[in-house]
This record gives sequence, C-alpha cells and structure tokens, in this order.
Amino acid sequence: MGREVSESCVDGLLTEMVSTYCNRFYANKPELAARRIEAIGYQVGHQLSERYTMERPRFSDHLEAIKFICKDFWSELFKKQIDNLKTNHRGTFVLQDNRFRWLSRISIDPSLENGEAQDPSAMAESKAAQATSMHLYFPCGIIRGALSNLGIPCAVSADISNLPACSFVVRIKA
Amino acid sequence: MIVCVAVVGHQNNPLYIQSFTEEDDALKLHHIVHCSLDVVDERVNNPKKSGPTLNETFLGLLYPTENYKVYGYLTNTKVKFILVTTDLDVRDADVRNFFRRFHAAYVDAVSNPFHIPGKKITSKTFSERVSAIVKSFGLSSAG
Repeated sequence: MGREVSESCVDGLLTEMVSTYCNRFYANKPELAARRIEAIGYQVGHQLSERYTMERPRFSDHLEAIKFICKDFWSELFKKQIDNLKTNHRGTFVLQDNRFRWLSRISIDPSLENGEAQDPSAMAESKAAQATSMHLYFPCGIIRGALSNLGIPCAVSADISNLPACSFVVRIKA
Repeated sequence: MIVCVAVVGHQNNPLYIQSFTEEDDALKLHHIVHCSLDVVDERVNNPKKSGPTLNETFLGLLYPTENYKVYGYLTNTKVKFILVTTDLDVRDADVRNFFRRFHAAYVDAVSNPFHIPGKKITSKTFSERVSAIVKSFGLSSAG
C-alpha cells in the first residue's frame, strides 16, 4: 500500500496547473480558471476520500466526517493535521492550517512591507494576494469533493489574511 | 459458490452487477439483489437491529432465501456491495475478507481518471479482478 510521491513534483505540478489555467487557457477570465481548477480538485478529493475511508466505520454525523478531514485525510495529504477547527454548530466549520504546505513556497514581494500607503504597492499587493488565492482553489476543491462523496454537500472557500497560515471555511448546505 | 455480486450507488443506481452461473437465471439474481436494497436501508436506519458494532461497513447476512444467502456491505461513501452465494455454511470471516478485497478493487476502479462517478463501471480490469476474487472465495471456504 505505502506508495510514495515526490513532494517537489507535486508542488511543481500544482504551480504549473495554476499558471497554465490562469495565463494560457483563461488568461482574461480568472473566474473561469478558478472554476476549472476547483473542479479538478473536486475530482481528486472525490477519489481520495473513497480510498482513505476504506478501512473505517461509517460516520454518524457531519462533525465526525469533518474531523476525519482534519486528522486522517490531512495527514495523508500533508503529513500533518489541521491545527485548529472552529465551528458555529450551524453548519459552518473553519479549518486552520498554520503552515499550509502548498503555500510555503510562495513568496510575497518583500518591498510590499514598507510604504503601504503608496498606490502602486497596494496594487501589487492585491495582485500577489490574487495569485496566491488562485493556488487555493485546488485544495478547496479537494475538501469539497471529499465531503460531497461522504454525503455532505458544501461550499468551501479559503482565507489568507495572515500568511503562511491559511483557513478553509466549509459551509454545509442544509 | 458465489453466484452474483453487485455494486449499487448511493441513489440505488446499479453501478456493476455480475452473475457467475452457467444457467440463465440472471434475472432472478438481479431480483434478489434488488430486494436486498430495502434490507440495507432498514439496517442503516434502525441500527439497533444491526448488532453490537455500530456503523460498521460490513452489514452481515441481509436475508437467507431457500437457496441463497445474501450479504451486504455499505461504504462510507454510501455505495452498497451485495453478495449472493449458494453456500449455506459460510464463515463470516470469509465474507469480510471477500468484501475487503472487493472494496479495494472498487476503489482502484473508481480512481481511474476516465471513470465518471455515478456511471456504470465498465473497466475490464475490474471485471477480471472481481472474477479472481470470486474464484478464490470458493477455494478458501472449501479448504
């Protein structure tokens, strides 16, 4: 069972996929590129959840399935668990990873640190944030695909207000 | 001897059904599989009757008929596996082992990027693997 995958290859593949969809296929339509990338993630999550839940008893409620995503599923993907899980007990869950692996290689231009008031740098910052968020549609899709396959339809979005920490917000559809 | 195995999706849509008899009784076997779906639903919705281990994927003997025994298995993703056998003296461990191997084959089949989720499994490799598992089940229970 224990097959290994080169981490740098996965990083490279992810970066290339995002850049291909954003700069070549849908250069002028970032929403469309985002949707395509999310759909790929959905399929991956769908298949992975089938495999990783093989030896487990069935989940009795949503929280158990979310916990599975936080612990076992995340460990399989990123060799670490989700660091913090919050919920409002009304179908919204916030999964926070303090050092998200797929963002650890992304550098934000250091010149942005000083002179925030200037217009060009603010623009550059928003551009960098947009490029970073493009890389998060894939993991969002993975989470959504995994949960949907476990019988929990939901919407997943990502929040990167304090890098390199990253939160995934899961809203379960009633 | 196993006479029929089936994979049924979460909306009770058939994904794969294969009988292993010489005679022309596929229709009868399909009927048996169809009937067993109600029993699966009942087991899942009334967990009290399903025995001590709650929420286990293996559902055990669903119902015996005159000539057949029907076993069920429900994955975390709400996909049902049904097994129909003519052996009247079957060990639970054998059936569990069968379902575990069957599940592994199923997971490999649906992980194929060309497989469309929710559609019938048409993979030849999957059929061959299932046939091999079915054959070896007969051997292990005889020995």
